[in-house]
Amino acid sequence: MARVVEALRANLGSDAVLAGPAVERVYECDAYTVEKRPPLCVVLPESTEQVQSVVRICRQHGVPYAARGAGTGLSGGATVAGVVLSTRRMNRILRIDAENRMAVVQPGATNLQVTRAAEPHGLFFAPDPSSQHVSTIGGNIAENAGGPHTLKYGVTANHVLEVEMVLPNGEVARLGSKVPEAPGLHPLALVVGSEGTLGVVTEATLRLLPKPQCVRTALAFFAEPRDAVRAVSEMIAIGVVPLALEFLDSTFMRVVSESFGLDFPPAARAFLLMEFDGTEESTAEELSAASDVCGRCGVVELQIARDEAERASLWYARKNAVGGLGRIAPSKVTHDGSIPRSKLPEALARIEEIAERQGVLVANLAHAGDGNLHPCMPLDDRDPEQVARMHRAADEIMRLCVEMGGSITGEHGVGLEKLPFMRLMFSADDLDFQRRLVQAFEGFELCNPGKLLPEAGA
Amino acid sequence: MDLSELSARCIHCGLCLESCPTYVLTHDETKSPRGRIHLARSALEGRFDYGEEMAAAIDTCLGCRACETACPSGVRYGSILELVRERMESRRPRRALKAFTGALTHRPLLHLQLAGSRFLPSGRVPGLLSRALAGGAAEADLPRPQTAGSWPPLRQEELPPIRGEVFLLDGCVMEPLFARVHEATTRLLQRCGFRVRRTGALCCGALHAHSGYLTDARKRALRLAQALEGGTPLVTNSAGCGSTIKDYRELDPALGELAARARDLTEFLVEHGFEERLRESRGLRVRATYHDACHLAHGQGIRSQPRRLLEAVTGLELVTLNESDMCCGSAGTYNLTQPAMARRLLERKWRNIEATGAEAVVLANPGCHAWIEQGSREKAGRAKVYHIAEMLEASFAGRLP
Repeated sequence: MARVVEALRANLGSDAVLAGPAVERVYECDAYTVEKRPPLCVVLPESTEQVQSVVRICRQHGVPYAARGAGTGLSGGATVAGVVLSTRRMNRILRIDAENRMAVVQPGATNLQVTRAAEPHGLFFAPDPSSQHVSTIGGNIAENAGGPHTLKYGVTANHVLEVEMVLPNGEVARLGSKVPEAPGLHPLALVVGSEGTLGVVTEATLRLLPKPQCVRTALAFFAEPRDAVRAVSEMIAIGVVPLALEFLDSTFMRVVSESFGLDFPPAARAFLLMEFDGTEESTAEELSAASDVCGRCGVVELQIARDEAERASLWYARKNAVGGLGRIAPSKVTHDGSIPRSKLPEALARIEEIAERQGVLVANLAHAGDGNLHPCMPLDDRDPEQVARMHRAADEIMRLCVEMGGSITGEHGVGLEKLPFMRLMFSADDLDFQRRLVQAFEGFELCNPGKLLPEAGA
Repeated sequence: MDLSELSARCIHCGLCLESCPTYVLTHDETKSPRGRIHLARSALEGRFDYGEEMAAAIDTCLGCRACETACPSGVRYGSILELVRERMESRRPRRALKAFTGALTHRPLLHLQLAGSRFLPSGRVPGLLSRALAGGAAEADLPRPQTAGSWPPLRQEELPPIRGEVFLLDGCVMEPLFARVHEATTRLLQRCGFRVRRTGALCCGALHAHSGYLTDARKRALRLAQALEGGTPLVTNSAGCGSTIKDYRELDPALGELAARARDLTEFLVEHGFEERLRESRGLRVRATYHDACHLAHGQGIRSQPRRLLEAVTGLELVTLNESDMCCGSAGTYNLTQPAMARRLLERKWRNIEATGAEAVVLANPGCHAWIEQGSREKAGRAKVYHIAEMLEASFAGRLP
């Protein structure tokens, strides 16, 4: 095993290879801390050719590898007992093609870096995970990342036009096309969301959108979650499609108000952040229609952001809500599932029962517009008893999502965390078909093994 | 809180990464806040030790606390760092650094060193000292003391009626090296209506605390607290001293009173309506930019006050500095112990400064002042470096010193 480290050093230079006890600790997990696997080493290639060398050397030595961006993933997708291939030194925005609204970027560029580079051209990159100022495009593509604004603009898959990637056999492939509707099957669609099991993306061409002329943000408080959810459904029914509809339950409201010093109305037990984009007129109309809906659904209080600073502070609270859980416990698991949005109130009630039965605290936030729910569990991951209770509660919650016609993950991926739940959703045949697709890329053996799909027959 | 409780707050989300200068330069997570906390936690769990690898991770940390600004969980990284350094120190004493910190914070010794250094052939920190501190060549120049007495006499009729009294922290480095800044600070406080008393050669212990000599720091702080009778505000014009004194309430409850009355100069002036006075001053025709000292922006949350004061100066055009709150690499004694990393940060800071086209870089901390001034000298740069006190006082004189 030490030989692979030597070979990597000889090929990429010693500055590009990190190894030793500190590296084994620091890179033993991503933001999913429950499972830890110390890596052999970390390599930091700076070009596609160097990525090829890493893949070929790992193949020669039979050592597994996994690509890692900022390590903000929440399902253990970048955790590997082998070579961690960090994309962080491939972090350049190669080109902004304003005329055709495209950006060509390296995988280690952060999500926000893309939007910042597009801004002077009046453009932006739509997917906006809460980690966007640190998480990388490579990671966003691997996990098919979402974010609050996916309700209107869709997930990462809708915004990737073409990728260059190093396949598990060490060859370079270009998938997708810069112009729409290339004929034939669409292998790029398989790559986005494949959690790094099909190869390592080394360059991506992304779709950029024109920045909306006007954005309006409002915060509605309701006495009960079901009132908030009814408001969401009614809005969508009358044809108002907000940019975002973010829901927080009362536990999260407490965390957020304590963490960021915000005052919420005492009667409120549900928080709904709404955002609309478009022209001055269209957003004013939509906001007024949404306010009427909220009024009919028994809103307790409606706050409208008056300026950019107020808007930023509402979003700051929402985007940092999960992080605020650190004030309650030393670790947390951010679960992720989706359900038909109309069933959100029922799901919340049943999650509360599960939490009580298993003796865990569950705080819920949701991208309410598309039914993507994040039950978060603060815990001390050094205590095996707490970890076991968390796993039992997670198991029940996942079963609940599937039973309600939903999914075991909305945007965080399967990784290590959700592997056991894949069989809840897919039959043996379904899984076998997916495995054959991975094999078509010659993946699996070494390229981020043990992720995404459970082993056959296991 | 102890190290275990403090580090338990980190939930490993990674949202701090891009705020960390050493991570941004290396993209090595063992040189990131999350990585360093993970190592501290691992050591507590017995899965890592305080050996060379911990030293490499911890010694390279600037202690800039930008990660605290980024952290959604409220992790007090600065306190974690000091406690880890304290533990490191008992296992791997850095005798040269300790002796040097002592010499830097001992007024007569510092004067002696400054006098002696004039006879050195190069303007750099001596190789012997650098090898002892960093194991290699020096990057930092020897400090060049400012000359005092450059302001015109202050006439009584210029001053408002006296409304109170404040202490100005003389500090170890400020008084011998930045006499003109102290003079300007005193005059501004007088213009604000305060009688100014100086604290003399008393050290607040900030440099000790940052290196993990917490017992030493506590001793010095207690001595300072005893010497200054209670109630009177303690104004600092050195960000590092100010943030450390404010944080002392965590170190020792007996220091709570001292901590509660510490005020940064800019904070104090804004609280006492000094913007009005500045608007009536003669003003300055200058294009200036503002660099956020880490221990003001991240350590004390002071960002708007200095900008508000500068904007109140007629004729002063304040332009935005890209990455204004990213550490310049000075970081206490960091440019002496980690010269290579400090150099890269200085180069980056200077590129950002040049890009603004400003003629003046304004800041409020002696470490940044000397280090960025060195950058200005080396590049024969257009921008000159000023402490905010100098800039504001110059607005009354109508010209820059």
